[in-house]
Amino acid sequence: MKATLAILPRSWSRERRSAVAIAVAVFGLVVFLWVLAQVLAVMPEPIGSAAEQFASGAQITVELTVLSGLVGLVVGLLAAFGKLSKFPPARWLANFYIWVIRGTPLLVQIYFVFFALPDILPIELPDFYSAVVALALNVGAYNAEAIRAGILAVHRGQVEAARSLGLSPLQTFRDIVFPQSFRVALPSLVNNFVSLLKDSSLASAIGVVELMNIGNRVRSSSYQAVPVLVTTAVIYLVLTSFMTQVSGAIERQLDIENHK
Amino acid sequence: MTEFASFSNGAESKRKPLITARNIQKHFGSAHVIKGVSTEFYQGEVAVIIGASGSGKSTFLRMLNRLEAHDGGNIVIDGIELDANLKHIDAVRREVGMVFQSFNLFSHLTVLDNVTLAPRRVRKTPREQANREAMELLAKVGMSAHAHKYPHQLSGGQQQRVAIARSLAMQPKVMLFDEPTSALDPEMIKEVLDVMKDLARSGMTMIVVTHEMGFAREVADRVIFFEQGKILEEAPPEEFFGNAQNERIRAFLGQITN
Repeated sequence: MKATLAILPRSWSRERRSAVAIAVAVFGLVVFLWVLAQVLAVMPEPIGSAAEQFASGAQITVELTVLSGLVGLVVGLLAAFGKLSKFPPARWLANFYIWVIRGTPLLVQIYFVFFALPDILPIELPDFYSAVVALALNVGAYNAEAIRAGILAVHRGQVEAARSLGLSPLQTFRDIVFPQSFRVALPSLVNNFVSLLKDSSLASAIGVVELMNIGNRVRSSSYQAVPVLVTTAVIYLVLTSFMTQVSGAIERQLDIENHK
Repeated sequence: MTEFASFSNGAESKRKPLITARNIQKHFGSAHVIKGVSTEFYQGEVAVIIGASGSGKSTFLRMLNRLEAHDGGNIVIDGIELDANLKHIDAVRREVGMVFQSFNLFSHLTVLDNVTLAPRRVRKTPREQANREAMELLAKVGMSAHAHKYPHQLSGGQQQRVAIARSLAMQPKVMLFDEPTSALDPEMIKEVLDVMKDLARSGMTMIVVTHEMGFAREVADRVIFFEQGKILEEAPPEEFFGNAQNERIRAFLGQITN
């Protein structure tokens, strides 16, 4: 993020600089996905002939990550509420969920949603959405801890001031507690999101045609592990770099007290 | 600083109790912290509550807008019984402003947004109008030049003046002050007390927990002395400070003034 901020005029406000930085990073990500196929096409074999596949795999990876990341945010928020609830069964449920998710491998969770869930419930999800469900539930458990810590970090006096002004509990949460706790939770949430992008590679195990799956296919048909895996890794690296760019800019946007 | 507009509703309403507290009790676990406090506060009155720390004076004040719940007796504010009913609590909180020792300005909002948030959310005042009214209030507390700053950019005295403006924006009938100058450096105490004096002169009903005896002497209509969860003495300031009969009050005043 520092790279983008450094070239922006110093006279701009912090909000403006970081808003522009977010836009630049998001735009950069879109452009990257757009030109990836063309760039890879000029590479030597076996990458050149698989350029289209790599590009579409990278796109599926981003879709998988963004979708399960957003659902995981909602799941994490609900689980954090559960953990902080005064109603004991809600606490038990949230604690049980977090305990199970954090104590079992993600691969088992993905297999469970894809293979075992249809035997228990009358729903059969395609591979992509099975992966979304498993990844969202997984990242949600980690998000819950981050969000809970953020909510607990909000000073009690802030809530008292809001309530004494006549704001309802819901307004107090929306206008005071949530924005303040979000700022505290953001670095952890971003870490979780970057992990999620990398973990989404496990979706290849149930046949989702994302980046890792493409890598596997090209490697096994070309018998050339080094160029294929290096290409796969570099694409992941560029994607995670864009993610940290965006999150760094959001952190600055919210950094009212100018710590950075 | 300009004068506040008059908040009083005429002299005839002066004798009508705005707040009635009868036999208030409060326990924290096994500790009995408020032991049967009864008193009334009148429209336009400035009451100053003093007492040693742990005497229950802040707890009592916080019960007047139910930041603490009383577990015995009853409190009626402007005809509304303050009980567990959320509608009653919200109705009372719209009428009762509170200023805290640690200011409690919303740290993620500008000074202007701190002042306008409650009118916009609770009274549904349009943003333009809320901003205009907030700027008037900020002018009255001498803070209009800082409207677009964040709380951390202000001194303690400035933050507290904004907190007073924030409470006034809800047009409360009574203002509670919980040790408003105790967290301030000495050179900033005066600027906050000056705002409070202007407010008192404008006819605002005020209940102030403080250690500022000068303020009590000069502004209070009545001084209330708390000890061990009870009101030990209440009297006009001349009488209270002039000839404190009670030995414990004399001892307390001796400690404070030294």
